[in-house]
Amino acid sequence: MKRSKWACILTDVHLWVPVVVLALGTTLLMMLR
Amino acid sequence: MSDGTATSARSTISLHQLGVFCGFSAAVWLGTAEAPTKLFSDLRAKPHLIVWALLAGMLWAVGNTLTVFAVRNVGLAIAFPLWNTNSLVGLAWGCLLFRELRGSRTKDWAKVVGGALAIVFGAAVLAIATAEQNSGAPGKAAIGIIAALGAGCMFGTMYIPYRKAYISGMNPLSFVTIFTFGELGTVYLLTAINSGGIGPLTAQLRLARPMLFWPFLGGFCWVIGDLFQQYAAKYIGIGRGIPLSNTNQLWGLAWGALVFGEFAGLATGGRLLILAGSAVMIAGALSISMAEPPPSEMENWNAAMHRECDRYHLDAESVAAVVAGDDPLADTKHPRRWWEVLIICAATGIFIWLGVGTRAQHIYVNMPWMIVLIVGTIIPLGWCGTLLWRRTRFS
Repeated sequence: MKRSKWACILTDVHLWVPVVVLALGTTLLMMLR
Repeated sequence: MSDGTATSARSTISLHQLGVFCGFSAAVWLGTAEAPTKLFSDLRAKPHLIVWALLAGMLWAVGNTLTVFAVRNVGLAIAFPLWNTNSLVGLAWGCLLFRELRGSRTKDWAKVVGGALAIVFGAAVLAIATAEQNSGAPGKAAIGIIAALGAGCMFGTMYIPYRKAYISGMNPLSFVTIFTFGELGTVYLLTAINSGGIGPLTAQLRLARPMLFWPFLGGFCWVIGDLFQQYAAKYIGIGRGIPLSNTNQLWGLAWGALVFGEFAGLATGGRLLILAGSAVMIAGALSISMAEPPPSEMENWNAAMHRECDRYHLDAESVAAVVAGDDPLADTKHPRRWWEVLIICAATGIFIWLGVGTRAQHIYVNMPWMIVLIVGTIIPLGWCGTLLWRRTRFS
């Protein structure tokens, strides 16, 4: 079955690696303020 | 440059050499004129990449803000080499997620990894030799080090979207355009939070009005350099392209030492350290430049590209052509539209407006050296821009 484009995006490891790193970086930044 | 049979007239320079030149040049603006037309056809064909381009801009913004905390707490000498490790982070992601260096010979691994390590080491030596003082507040060193490493992680991870976009056949000019929205939006949000709201932020900007032209000019040069970096990431991958771009520290050093006379009082030991750090960095860059990917590694690059085509239902043949620098649309003539002229006029107008209200900064400048370095910056711009146009039509 052909998956929707959004399903492909949301299950892509290439998305989650940068998203997790961004979340960690933003948390660090907020802690340093 | 006009020709009827564009394909046959194209240069046959290898993509590896081309990518290396892009990595070194770190400054270009010739391609910008092509941006608007490329942008829309690109985004229509690969709309999912908007998410990654925005994400890359956000990563840059958070990373760059972290560097401010790092420099404040531990000083540039410690902070700079720490966030310069971004090339090693990028190298790791390139290998893990995009199959870069896989299938490569041991000597190529040694050249690339050794070269990247040498560039980080050279950066550390230069930073230690040139930094005046550790400006860190007592007891806050650990926070500064964490902030600098965090910035390195942000910058290194930012190259995941870069590489993903290029193995999907996106044009670097389109990517940078969307990247800018993510970058500016996040910087604006972070600055508003740090300044205590939009009101105080606007007041601060108004106060800084007489000198706003200079950061604008710096940002302009950065974007030009980033365009070259994008082409380097496209044609030689992030594992090789990013360490080469990180040699920008040598140019910064040359401006500081030769034009602004920053190291006039430096002792002989400091000068020797600068020479040694620069030599190590150049050796690292040369080592990477000579590590052209063998066919066995290129098969892995192709596998990474096919993964994107299968997942996002892209036309593999057309993507392969774009990845190889032969965009089928590149030779098609597009009529210029009125709003393209409007964008150029608005951008130029902002620069003129900022320039008119600018107050001259009274700092010592060595004019002959400044002319030499400006010429040295413009030569790779023209040269590499011409190579890119002849070989890829900026695709």
